[in-house]
Order: sequence, then structure tokens, then C-alpha cells
Amino acid sequence: MKNSFDEKILEEALDWIEASQKVVLATVIQTWGSSPRQVGSRMIVNEKGDFSGSVSGGCVESAVVRECIGLIKDNKLCKKIEFKVSNESAWEVGLACGGEIAVYLEQIN
Amino acid sequence: MKHSQLKEIIKKKASKTEFAIVTNLKNGLSEIYEPDKSLSKEFEAHKKQIDNFFKLKKNGVIENTEIFVETYIRPIKVIIVGAVHIAQYIIDFAKSLNFEISIIDPRGYFATSERFPDMKIIDKWPNEAFKEIETNENTALIALTHDPKIDDPALQHALNKKFYYIGALGSKKTHENRCQRLKEAGFSDEQINSIHGPIGIKLGGRSAPEIALSIIAQLVSETYKK
Repeated sequence: MKNSFDEKILEEALDWIEASQKVVLATVIQTWGSSPRQVGSRMIVNEKGDFSGSVSGGCVESAVVRECIGLIKDNKLCKKIEFKVSNESAWEVGLACGGEIAVYLEQIN
Repeated sequence: MKHSQLKEIIKKKASKTEFAIVTNLKNGLSEIYEPDKSLSKEFEAHKKQIDNFFKLKKNGVIENTEIFVETYIRPIKVIIVGAVHIAQYIIDFAKSLNFEISIIDPRGYFATSERFPDMKIIDKWPNEAFKEIETNENTALIALTHDPKIDDPALQHALNKKFYYIGALGSKKTHENRCQRLKEAGFSDEQINSIHGPIGIKLGGRSAPEIALSIIAQLVSETYKK
């Protein structure tokens, strides 16, 4: 495999940190079935909820942002969250594609 | 992840080193893995599996563990022959892709740093220029001058070194003549047919940025085929 893509999210994370923001790195660590982004895909979130990058095709980003803000508030180092197929009661935090993903959140300190 | 580690990772990426980041998902500890360096106690027991992920250029969680491995590979080297208008757009598009681009053009008035800021430009004939660039089967060549004096030696080098992508700009007629010259130079039909000529996917565009886009599209597509 010769990945030709580099989204420069880590570089952006460093810029945010150097601008005195608190940053959580969210990384896709596992996928099952058809999932929109491959393992290693990333997004970053700051304490205000600004974000960059992606861990899905827009399906679970809002939930990831909330979780990241929570991590900063609770001053926790890391957390693993899983997203499964969407259901009616939680349409905005499920994966419409029918896949499942695990996302790892870690605070940069 | 620690701020200092993030800095170290970015430095390693910029220096085109191949490495991996290993993270214990339970406690958040992470470190940088390099094949010739030893790991800390935290990860030492899983060295074999981590080596394997690294060898396969794979990202993922090691089975039955809470250890995530993310490998970083060297960017693909792309050599552009001809510091022409299309090359300027190819570089624009390639900025968001993980390609390491060098430009070769012996015609000094084309290959100026004003036209190509922050680019490695080699102002020499291809045979001399290739002495300065390490190339192998993970290298790509985009020949844009349609001048046989400049393009042909570069194409011959690329064929000999088995570049995974070789493309040459020019009409069907230009390409037929080019193939004939390569045949006379002793290259096999199989080698000659591996050249993408006329270069680029069939996009239908005619302007410089449109042609650049069709070339980049073909390059990415061939990159994933390998």
C-alpha cells in the first residue's frame, strides 16, 4: 500500500496548541462492515467545539465533538467510543452506511 | 499524547522517516516506534506484532490487545520533467496529497524559483539530474516537455528503474513517434506500453489546470493499484 494522502491534521493540532487551545485528537482505530473512513482517519476538537478533519462522512462528528469537550472538561486523558448502525432515536449519531467504528479520543497535554 | 511527542512526530514526518506510533488505548501511553530502536517496557512484549504491522504498512489494533499501531510511510516521489505551465498546476493539486515532488528542467528560463516557489528544481539534463535523485519502483515520472531531447532520456531512466507510474504529455502522433524511438533504443513492447501516453485520464479538459487534474487523477489511481 502506498497511501498518497496526508491530511496534515497533526500539524494543525500543533498550531492550535501553540495558540493556547486545548486539543483532543480523535482517531478511527477500528472499523467493521462498510465505514466511511479508514483506520487512522483523524479529527481534532478544541475546548470551544471547533473541529477539523473527520472520522466519518459527517455521521458521527457532532457526537465526537461533544465527547471531546467532555474529555477536556473532566480533564481526562483518553477514552474509547464506538458507533454502531443508526436507529430512529439517535439518528444523528449512528452510521447510516450500516458500518461500525471505534474512535479513540486523547487529549494532548 | 504529550505536546513534545506531537512535535517529534511532525518533525519525523517532515524528514520523510518511516515510523509508527504505538498507543495503549487503556492508559493513553504512546510512543514512537522505529524498526531499529527498542521499545519501552509498556510495548516491548508486542514488538513482533508491531514489527509486522510496520512491515505491512498497516494501521490497527493488535488482536486481543488494547494496542493501536499507526504507521507512517515515506511520501511517494514524483519527478516532473519540464517546468511548464501544467507543472505549476500539478504542484498546486499535489499540495494536499502526500507526494514529494522534484522538477527537472535544463532550460534555465523555465525552472525559476519565482515560477516554482519552495520546490526542488534541478536545472540539469535528465541524465545528470537523476544522479542527484534516488529513484526506485516507488517513483513516478511525469514528462511534460514533449521535446525528445529532454523527455526521452528521462523516460528511458524511468523504464530501466521500473517506476510504478510513467506518463508523457503529447498527442497520439507525438506518442507514436516516441514509442518508435524507444523501440529503436531497445525497449520491449511491454515496457513501452506501460507508459501512459497521451498522459492523464480522459477528462475532456483543455486548459492547463484541467490537464494537470487529469494527470493527478491518473497518478493517484495508479498509486492505489500497486
